[in-house]
Amino acid sequence: MRKFTLFLALMFFIGMQVSQAQTRTISGTVTNAEDGSTIPGVSVVVKGTTFGTTTDLQGMYSLNVPQDAQTLKFSFIGMQPVERDIAGQTVINVRMEPTATAIEGVVVTALGITKERKALGYAVQEVSSEDLTRSGSSSLSSALQGKLSGVEIKPSSGMPGASSQIIIRGARSFSGNNTPLYVIDGMPVSSEADFSTGNSVTGSDIANRAVDIDPNDIESINILKGQAAAALYGIRASNGVVIITTKSGKGNKIGKPAISFSNFTSFETVSRTPDYQTKYAQGSYGNNVPNTSFSWGPEISKLPDDPVYGGNSQGHPGLYFVPQRERAGLDPWVKPQTYDNFGDFFDLGYTTTTSLNISQATEKGNIAFGIGNSTQEGIVPSTGMDRWNAKAAGQTKLNDMWSMGFSANYARTSVDKLPAANDASIAGVYAAPPNYDLAGIPTNLPTDIYSQIYYRSLTFDNPYWGAAHNKFNETTDRFFGNGFVEYTPYIADNMTLKTRYQIGTDAYTSHYQDIFEYGHRGSTGEINNYGISSQTINSLLTVNYTWKINNDFNFTALVGNEFNHRNRKLYDEYGTGFNFGGWAHMSNAKIQQADESQYEDRTVGFFGNLSLDYKGMLYFNATGRQDYVSTMPRDNNYFFYPSVSLGFVITELESLRDMPVLSFAKVRVSYAEVGQAGDYFQNFFASPNYEGGFWGATPIQYPIGGVSSYLSNNVQFDPNLKPQNTQSYELGTELKFFNNRLGVDYSYSHQLVTDQIFQVPIAASTGAAALVMNGGEIQTNAHEIVLYATPVATQDFNWDFTVNFSKIDNMVNELAPGVESIFLGGFVTPQVRAGIGSTFPVIYGSSFKRDDKGNILVYDAPGEWYHGMPQDGPPAVIGEVSPDFILGFSNRFTYKGIALTATLDWKQGGQMYSGSNGLLDLYGVSATSGDREETFVFDGYKEDGTPNDIVRGGPNDPEAYQDLITNVLTNIDEYYIHDNSFLKLREVTLSYALPKSFMKEVGLTISVYARNILLWTELPNFDPESSQGNNNMGGSFERFSMPQTTSYGFGINLNF
Amino acid sequence: MNKIIKFLTIPVLLLIMAGCTQDILEDINVNKNNPTDVPSKLLITDAMTKTAFSIVGSDLAFYASVYVEHNVGIYNQMYNAEIRSGEPSLATTYNNSWGSIYETLYNLKIIINKTSPGGDEEANVHTLGVAQILTAYNLAILTDLFGDVPYEEALQPGVIFQPKLDSQESLYAEIFRLLDEGIANLEKETLAAGLGGQDFIYKGNIANWKKFAWGLKARYTARLALRNSAWDQVIEYANKSFTSASEEAKFVYDGSTTNSPFLTFFKDRDYFGASTSLHEKLIARNDMRDATFFIPYPDLEEINFAANGAPEQVQGFYGISGIMSPTAPTYLLSYHEILFLKAEAQVRNNNLDEAKATLEDAVEAAFEKVEVGMTLDSTYRVTIQNQFDAAPLKEVMTQKYLAFFESEAVEAYNDIRRLKAMGDNVITLANPLKFPLRYTYGADDVTTNLKVAAAYGTGAYIYTENVWWAGGTR
Repeated sequence: MRKFTLFLALMFFIGMQVSQAQTRTISGTVTNAEDGSTIPGVSVVVKGTTFGTTTDLQGMYSLNVPQDAQTLKFSFIGMQPVERDIAGQTVINVRMEPTATAIEGVVVTALGITKERKALGYAVQEVSSEDLTRSGSSSLSSALQGKLSGVEIKPSSGMPGASSQIIIRGARSFSGNNTPLYVIDGMPVSSEADFSTGNSVTGSDIANRAVDIDPNDIESINILKGQAAAALYGIRASNGVVIITTKSGKGNKIGKPAISFSNFTSFETVSRTPDYQTKYAQGSYGNNVPNTSFSWGPEISKLPDDPVYGGNSQGHPGLYFVPQRERAGLDPWVKPQTYDNFGDFFDLGYTTTTSLNISQATEKGNIAFGIGNSTQEGIVPSTGMDRWNAKAAGQTKLNDMWSMGFSANYARTSVDKLPAANDASIAGVYAAPPNYDLAGIPTNLPTDIYSQIYYRSLTFDNPYWGAAHNKFNETTDRFFGNGFVEYTPYIADNMTLKTRYQIGTDAYTSHYQDIFEYGHRGSTGEINNYGISSQTINSLLTVNYTWKINNDFNFTALVGNEFNHRNRKLYDEYGTGFNFGGWAHMSNAKIQQADESQYEDRTVGFFGNLSLDYKGMLYFNATGRQDYVSTMPRDNNYFFYPSVSLGFVITELESLRDMPVLSFAKVRVSYAEVGQAGDYFQNFFASPNYEGGFWGATPIQYPIGGVSSYLSNNVQFDPNLKPQNTQSYELGTELKFFNNRLGVDYSYSHQLVTDQIFQVPIAASTGAAALVMNGGEIQTNAHEIVLYATPVATQDFNWDFTVNFSKIDNMVNELAPGVESIFLGGFVTPQVRAGIGSTFPVIYGSSFKRDDKGNILVYDAPGEWYHGMPQDGPPAVIGEVSPDFILGFSNRFTYKGIALTATLDWKQGGQMYSGSNGLLDLYGVSATSGDREETFVFDGYKEDGTPNDIVRGGPNDPEAYQDLITNVLTNIDEYYIHDNSFLKLREVTLSYALPKSFMKEVGLTISVYARNILLWTELPNFDPESSQGNNNMGGSFERFSMPQTTSYGFGINLNF
Repeated sequence: MNKIIKFLTIPVLLLIMAGCTQDILEDINVNKNNPTDVPSKLLITDAMTKTAFSIVGSDLAFYASVYVEHNVGIYNQMYNAEIRSGEPSLATTYNNSWGSIYETLYNLKIIINKTSPGGDEEANVHTLGVAQILTAYNLAILTDLFGDVPYEEALQPGVIFQPKLDSQESLYAEIFRLLDEGIANLEKETLAAGLGGQDFIYKGNIANWKKFAWGLKARYTARLALRNSAWDQVIEYANKSFTSASEEAKFVYDGSTTNSPFLTFFKDRDYFGASTSLHEKLIARNDMRDATFFIPYPDLEEINFAANGAPEQVQGFYGISGIMSPTAPTYLLSYHEILFLKAEAQVRNNNLDEAKATLEDAVEAAFEKVEVGMTLDSTYRVTIQNQFDAAPLKEVMTQKYLAFFESEAVEAYNDIRRLKAMGDNVITLANPLKFPLRYTYGADDVTTNLKVAAAYGTGAYIYTENVWWAGGTR
């Protein structure tokens, strides 16, 4: 320190001497050529020397230059540099142009370090605030769909608050967390759901905490896709990082506050209606059976002829008897007709999102306030979401060296939802017989609200009754924010030293209520109150040093420490069997059980970063981080992660500068190792659990008559557990042509995860079900291409488009010795699993029996009911979920103030288990099961190798077709597997910005938009983006899952 | 300024380092939510509950009742079992029960280790005896239904990942050894406190546990009759066992925190229909239990009987069991079974007079069992005597089959397989489709244990390979 001061003093003295000898003063103002505003902080330097200064807050500068100085050079980040010959002038005013596209701007990378985009040695993708909010989506994950490469976003449904799986460059963990880390205004924030839907075959969806984020408050989102990009975040970033910067007022014009107000209102409908048959009534084998779940009965028009229920023989000609109507106290004799049970059920949903943001930039800093609300009523009755967001953020310079700032966010989210799969609330909506008036016949006895009337047995509740009486709700109150202080003392002209300390917190409480009312399934209902209170403290200290060594070399170094501590307390209250209906409260339950659990975990990390850039052409970066965690066993709880990256901007080479066609070319290469910790505990005992299997409500609950018992937990822990390691390398190139009118960014990355920590299923005969140990290997090869072009750019009319292409191959190489596949979710059969040699995940279940050539075999057994029908084969991998590729295509046309944008999303390849499709066939309501008169020959082969020629069905064999569907095909899980490639119009927006001349100082934009229009899919009857599970099985498995929605809406945006 | 920085650096660094020493991190990770050790009497309770509810009382019994035609499977998985499509040969079918058995055996192994000499509760010899008896019981269910199974190398998670299969013959030797040692331990004196309320079966009554063990010896000796005929021993063991229904081994449900499996299965799933063949056997001999055993489906007037092997797949139509209730117990070993074993042994020994008397007592006990609650009237006694005189073995085994309705289906399944193997086809089954001779191994072993996977093959072996005590090789 002292040496510097001495050195400086010397230089100053010398400089003074020299300048006193022959200098003159040049002054002037630097303004922004676009809007005339002054630019503070512009570097003004005599070219070829180190003489220089910077413009002050009014954009003015004054510089004493030597007599022989010839040229002044003006430079500022985000602006094109300007050189001016001095030529005897004493006042030189300069207008600077911003660099052509945002691509050359600065990017926020790990730990808030801003870098020029061209300095990065790894792939980063940004989504602007305008792209996020133009179609008024209230959910962050759906706003990102179609706009990113290398990122797969799988929403579970279109319901309010629905969970969404975001996976960057494939999965790294079979059963653990694959969600990225979210960093909001510098504070790392968790986004994994606190409660997993587990097997995901019962109950309702559970959102993850990304649902609290209001997209309207976001200034920019940067996705750090690879390990090299995220290495500074250590363990929690092995799945990639989503860096979110909220609106803060930075970059506003100084002085006047900027107010922005927006409202988006949209109306939702179900995105796709299945094709139903309308000819055959409820029943089985041609007989009307009024309480069966099947619709294999007689023709609806012939119902009055039915021997038992027909009116023609019982004094009510042309009518037939409906027992449910009689139970409801209505006239049971009705004319047979068909009803649109599916369409009648759904309401028109609506969403309205309002935000107000006020920000101001002052000479010393900036401040912003925001408040927002999103209110949604779903298409399914009694579902909806209500979210309130409020935020305040600001920063200020205290003096030349110190500055401080803060960011505070509050979110309150309340979601009302309904269950699916085995508890499906809308099973009847999908599968009710066409002649049963689901909407018209009352849902319960006139004398007893809690005795349901339904077309079938109460394995599922009457959907109208369930929507009115069952209640599933989650409510979260959340506060997250941070405060920071920065110290930037002056060291030297060509060096900076910035020390920043930030302390932040994320505290939230979530309460969940899952209530099945008295009368559910004809029984006495149950209530489950559970919730979590979580507090995280995050402390981040960074020391950032930059050194402009000379004109050619720039050096930066960063060291720091992160301390993250989280406390969680969960509670779980379960009440079984209400005494009576109408009071769905724990005190009304016959058996009440309570449980609580507490967890604490801490991560401490030390990290460092070095970067060196040469002539703005060659960029080298290296990072290292050492993490200590509390969740791993002693002596195996610390690890070191290095990364290196190199970027080479080819067009900075003298010989290649200013080429006519190729305006920018860069290659990047990087390598990184990042680990992930597991959750280790000493083997313990737990309360026995009797849920699952055939049982609905829990049949055995401890304490039994006051007596308790315990069992060794069926998941044990390997005391030698060590952290898993992801090694990855990435190669990429960025090319821009025709003065940045056309650009392409290509990345190839390879990741190999070894020593996976997961619950390795072990043979049940060992006495335990799983052992948490290291094992397995999963690799991902990802190709990402971002192509952007502006084919037309004239004064009034502009057309630009962006294509995002991802091909992610996620393969499971190894699991554990003797383990061929592991269970991720699903039923006893089929299941979603991770299997060796397959992409991740796969669907596993019973298959068709096939011969060596892969042909489906049929039985050749004349006289048997199954003659000519397919044989059932062994359990096997029956479907692969991973797509071949995903392509997002965004187009934007602007003409004067009118803008038309459209984003298409195309997923090609990949399969899912579509339980609803198979069940629609089983129940005989689907259009494909409606062709019952004709004979059929099943498309298969006989065991002798000849094609099947056995004719079944037709009027002489009336039961065969139902036998084929209900007793053979729907018992084979492979029958339910479908390809689910799709093409969706994610959003189309038409907006008009009133010209500035119309209302000075006020910017008004009005827009109309539509979202999530399904254009084409290989999946029959349903939208492919409707599935079960908020965990790693998301997107693979569907069974009476909540539907997707299409929205149409309009919005207004006011800025002044 | 330097001084400030230097002054702060060291304490800040120390503060940071202090937050992450090994001791502190390990302390933070201590599991506050679960214990790492539990006394044996708090473990043995669930061993009993699981044995009764999850093992002998539910899935295994449901499928067995379909195969022996106590019930007809009329929907979904039970329907598939009825028409022999899918379920009987899939590894997933009995997987939940397979896991429950091994979980219970592991639990019992921990208890045995604790209460054996050298363990931390070595004074608890009675608990040790009870645990040994329950181990024998579960091991017998396991091998009776699944054949050769892992045992010697099993129950060592993290140590042996692929336990080998042991022969049924060796497992039966182990079962008898466990029963003998259990009885010996129960006869020892101890000052340790008894199980009391933690014992859901006998409330700590050691004398009854001994009778249970003798009764099991009778049952298993009879089971091995094809391989080693020892009917005198069966009678000897039966005489040392239960003398009244109050001593039998059963698990009683309270209808709220514990629920009887068959009724719960009806409420949650509704997969059974009244069996035509069982009905016909009852009315063929004017058995008054016919009116109790079957009732119409709720809200229907008539009882519709389901055709064995070919019912319609429809719910809400067929009659259902009339003896289901929230408290209907699961029998581990009933008093009437002991009497039936004795009667069969006496028939085999050609001691027909004593056999007839024992048979009448057995049927009387069956009538009086709590979920049936009837008394044996004199007319039926005469019918029994006449039927017995005509065909003694047939009458004994048929009455035993009727007495087992509905919760003792597993034992009925064992009996039918043994009788067929011994050439005594005295119980006729109406379902014309192929009869499963055993249960498939659980999928949790088939997918992770290569030895079990090899034994499972394609699952088709269940129709062709008998278990060892039924004349098979595995």
